[in-house]
Amino acid sequence: MSTPAAPSPTPNSPETPPPQVSSGKVPLRGKAKKLSLWARFRRVFAEIADAVIQAVQSLIAHRLRAALTISGVSVGIMAVIIIFMVESGMEASFARQLNSLGPNTLYVHKWAWGVGGRDWWKLRNRPAVGQMDYRALLANAKLPIAISPVANTEAVVSRAEKEVKNIDIRGTTEAFLEAGGWQLKRGRFISDLDHEIGSDACVIGADLEDAFFKSGDALGQRIKVGPTTRCTVVGTLVRKGNAFGRSQDGLVVMPLSSFLRSFGPKRGLTIAVVAEAGKVMETEDEVIAVLRAARRLGPDQEDNFSVNRQDKILQGFNQTMMTVNLVGILVGVITAAVAGIGIMNILLVSVKERTREIGIRRALGARRGSILIQFLCEAVIVALVGGAVGVGLGAGAAALLDLLSPVPASIDPRVVTGGVLGSCILGAIFGLWPALSAAFLHPIEALRHE
Amino acid sequence: MALIELDHIGKCYDLGLSKVHALKDIHVSIETGELVAIVGQSGSGKSTLMNIVGCLDVPTSGRYHLSGRDVSELSDDELSDVRNLEIGFIFQSFQLLPRASALENVELPLIYRGISKKERRELAIAALEQVELADRMKHRPTELSGGQRQRVAIARALVTQPSLLLADEPTGNLDSRTGEEIVRLFLDLHSKGNTIVLVTHEPKLAARCPRAVRIVDGLVIADGPGREVALANAEAMGADVVAQVLAAEAAAASHRKGAFAP
Repeated sequence: MSTPAAPSPTPNSPETPPPQVSSGKVPLRGKAKKLSLWARFRRVFAEIADAVIQAVQSLIAHRLRAALTISGVSVGIMAVIIIFMVESGMEASFARQLNSLGPNTLYVHKWAWGVGGRDWWKLRNRPAVGQMDYRALLANAKLPIAISPVANTEAVVSRAEKEVKNIDIRGTTEAFLEAGGWQLKRGRFISDLDHEIGSDACVIGADLEDAFFKSGDALGQRIKVGPTTRCTVVGTLVRKGNAFGRSQDGLVVMPLSSFLRSFGPKRGLTIAVVAEAGKVMETEDEVIAVLRAARRLGPDQEDNFSVNRQDKILQGFNQTMMTVNLVGILVGVITAAVAGIGIMNILLVSVKERTREIGIRRALGARRGSILIQFLCEAVIVALVGGAVGVGLGAGAAALLDLLSPVPASIDPRVVTGGVLGSCILGAIFGLWPALSAAFLHPIEALRHE
Repeated sequence: MALIELDHIGKCYDLGLSKVHALKDIHVSIETGELVAIVGQSGSGKSTLMNIVGCLDVPTSGRYHLSGRDVSELSDDELSDVRNLEIGFIFQSFQLLPRASALENVELPLIYRGISKKERRELAIAALEQVELADRMKHRPTELSGGQRQRVAIARALVTQPSLLLADEPTGNLDSRTGEEIVRLFLDLHSKGNTIVLVTHEPKLAARCPRAVRIVDGLVIADGPGREVALANAEAMGADVVAQVLAAEAAAASHRKGAFAP
């Protein structure tokens, strides 16, 4: 089995030595050869370029194995992205809803916002906030710009044959418009006179206007609120949009006195107190003082009412978000570990398979660092592809979530860079041990490996 | 100063319970341009010696100077650089990367030298031309015959223009005719000024080298013209080897005439 294609080198060699011998060889020969700094610099680039090519070839050669590991990484990255996306969606929608409460508005209420657990038992025996408190504030508090008592319930609203369920019914006074951050679209708002005489006037939100008066003028029309009450529409409100997946515009506003007559006089109120910007703290102190006096609380007694601000909701919300965050981080760490172990596994197999290659490369002059770079590149490429696919899947999930659920979901560039960068780091961390084990193989043993 | 100076080299493997002295006291020097065969039975220590000469391993005692530089106490990275810059390896089992083409295999050592892609390609093509395989450079090792694979390996060793070509049983995996081609390639490379160290257990290969060093039990017991060392070795091994040596001489004679050996 000789090689007929390759002729014996003897005949032509003595007369025509290949040009390399005479020209190229001499300058490279010499004592104690050393690489210049520039050559060392270029060597690193050449090694990395070679490592990337080798890694891609290796992954293509073992498609299934690579695909499984990559899918592991991408599912992990996707899960983390979805969690943080939902989280930021919740936060964004909450912040928007919170804004609609107004930063300078205090809410006097039986309950303290953002409080649960043991405190609940303490608070449940408090007297409800009622009209007496409202009158006391109206008469004695000087700092507030506006004071608006609000009672609310849910009821069915109907007109002729049509009815709309789960409508937010609020009984209040003129100040509600300012305190609640609403804008009047047409007609007029409830006046204090309406409250005093208990008129049947009402103002409706944009959802109801759409439902009942699509093709006509709402003003002056009669609607039925709840089982018995009939009201006349005197104004309509500008659409406010969704908060927390719920429309805020399915709303009927009526005079407080009329509301209490229809839905029961013992209902607790929330009194919205609008403070001047920058004077929120003073206003809060004054409100507390006025209410303590009105309720005849002694100096040793605790407040039996709460003055809530939006930042108190924020506190409760932040607590919830912290839990969600913690769960997200935990899930992220677990999926990262699982994906990382997958990378480690594929890399160990690769090192095992290529032990001889490692020996060959070492014999040809690869340093330990070169071998390390080679396998780290492979790990990072697997992780990077997985991360990119994961970010893609995450973006798809975001689009789907945005389309199907009320939580607004979007993917921002920080998530993309974070996902890609994170997977890179993941690959490097979990690839380190296999790569080190490859780098520290003894060249002779690696060459003998079968 | 000689290219290779082995100064009382010893190599001892500590196996825990016992110590194995693979090399006891090797004292050899090889000049630039020499073609030297290192012969010995398996277990004689010749592979260990080759690993040390090739800077894949370091001796446990003695000094080894390569191109005037003491390499017996270099760090791992420095040894890697010495291997890349000074030594061209040729292995019995070729040791080519199976997934890479002949050309890519030959380019491989140049990567560790920071040579640009274009220049790597040029040098590799030139080296493949030198072993007359330029027409096969796109083939993978599996698509080449044994002799062709060994030529690729030789081209890979030549491409760095090393001070020393180090071949470990280069004809061991080849049939006799292909082996003869490879031997002639080595003789040819030697005639062009390359320094070559061949490690072999085949007397007929040693007999054709100008110089041979025979190693037994980690000691140099003969160092002289290849024919004499091979014959002395043959005496120790039995008469049938004498026939092999004589056959090798006949082949060498025909080589000198430039005819093709049957």
